[in-house]
Amino acid sequence: MPVSPEKQSTLSTVEILSQGMVINVGPQHPSTHGVLRLILTLDGEQILHCEPVIGYLHRGLEKMMERRPYRHNIPFTDRLDYLAALSNNLGICQCIERLGGVEVPERAKYIRVLLMELQRIASHLVFLGTFGTDLGATTMFLYAFRERELVLDLLEECTGARLTYNWIRVGGVPDDLPDGFAEKVLAFVKVFRQRLKEYDQLLTRNRIFRSRTQNIGVLPKDLALAYGTSGPVLRASGVAYDIRKVDPYEVYDRVEFDVPVFDRGDVWARYLVRMEEMHQSLRIIEQVLRDMPDGPVQTKLPKIFKPPAGIAYSRVESPRGELSFMMVSDGSPNPVRVHIRAPSFVNLSVLPCLLEGAKVADLVAILGSIDVVLGEIDR
Amino acid sequence: MTYFIDGLATLFFGMLVTWRNLWRPKVTVRYPYQKRPVPPRYRGLFYLKWNEEKQRLNCVGCTLCAQACPTDVISMVKLGKGTNASVSEFTMDLGRCMFCNLCVEACPFDAIYMGPVYELASERRDACLFRITDLAQGGEEAVRKNIETIQRLMAEEEKAKPAATHPAGGHAE
Repeated sequence: MPVSPEKQSTLSTVEILSQGMVINVGPQHPSTHGVLRLILTLDGEQILHCEPVIGYLHRGLEKMMERRPYRHNIPFTDRLDYLAALSNNLGICQCIERLGGVEVPERAKYIRVLLMELQRIASHLVFLGTFGTDLGATTMFLYAFRERELVLDLLEECTGARLTYNWIRVGGVPDDLPDGFAEKVLAFVKVFRQRLKEYDQLLTRNRIFRSRTQNIGVLPKDLALAYGTSGPVLRASGVAYDIRKVDPYEVYDRVEFDVPVFDRGDVWARYLVRMEEMHQSLRIIEQVLRDMPDGPVQTKLPKIFKPPAGIAYSRVESPRGELSFMMVSDGSPNPVRVHIRAPSFVNLSVLPCLLEGAKVADLVAILGSIDVVLGEIDR
Repeated sequence: MTYFIDGLATLFFGMLVTWRNLWRPKVTVRYPYQKRPVPPRYRGLFYLKWNEEKQRLNCVGCTLCAQACPTDVISMVKLGKGTNASVSEFTMDLGRCMFCNLCVEACPFDAIYMGPVYELASERRDACLFRITDLAQGGEEAVRKNIETIQRLMAEEEKAKPAATHPAGGHAE
């Protein structure tokens, strides 16, 4: 509660204490997963009020995109959600394809879905590792990153890069899968199934871990919907909403998978949703590899790509939630307007509600369970 | 009491995982001394392909890669004209490069590729600037031979067509 300077000097000790202590978390803080600053007002151990401050990574990406031809913008999207670069690539490529009416070959769609699910596993493993470290389970970090390395090796072999893949193009993917890739992916799936069981043994049934996550940071269903959250945060609050089911893109309508939903809405549920999603991703990968047809992987496009005037909107389910791109074209080689709906940005907006009344010690657990990536929030 | 039993179970299962992992082969390498193999598609330092048969670089200086680049990394000076053209200068400012592969895909002559070299960090700013002698396969020798070949081809063309203008020489700095 702000107090005028004149009154400030006359406050008694009790009154000063009752105002709450203001502390700063971040922007350089090891558990914020990026440059996020939180201004907390505390009453003892309880958080009275939280104000997230963002923008430290702002690069003006949407404006940059308006100054460049459509296809030059694909590598920039790698820098949005840098833990799931391929999802961003797919988002913008789908948007441009809708704008220009470009058809994607069948094989390319399957390759996209395969890469997307590998990416989801890699992203969730980062969550698992860092979330474990936040809560003091340092071993989890080492195990999760060991398995993530297997996924990154696969993606590196296919795309040539480890983090900023830039491997989806307008009208397909730039190149076919390398020789023997399917066998390697299946070998990984086999290993990873077994490792997921180990994670469950190590973390899911861990008494301390459960005590620190259960009934912490409860997000009720109506609040989650009111704030427009998406992805694992929404599904952990009991809403079965997954773009892959609701508005299927690529070949998600042809593969069989379940959408994990939990009603609890706490940190524990958000963790379980992500663990279960990794299982489902493995299922999708197996089906995609089984059904993948032969054929070309890219549609030929003119050198200077000019989509007709109009507006296009596309959304994909990134590991963090609903990622959408909107582009407006006036028939010139550059887009007139680009807008990105970043899932982390919307999910972060719910943080002050979750933190109100929570203990300071639970701050990292709650923040970690939302799994934000600041590159996407600030863009 | 249930907490106590649960805690003991936690300890038991956690240690079981640790025990199992104790016997797995280690996954780390001692990096600066040991290096992991790089896959063939890896996107590292660029190189300009040397054509042994024609004794020249594949590059014809068409600037398609420079146009495809979102961050204006590439600049070049064209050498020669028409089908016999190549480059005398080809500079890449890798401080700006995103290693996005768009220039490689844009090249219709298979001239520019990305190689397996990845240790590009430097303490100096000018080390980000890669000139043609750093990028061409075969280094300075290849660049010299390339210029010789192009000049020879230009001279031949000149003889065949006496009306043509003077051939462009190597651009000395």
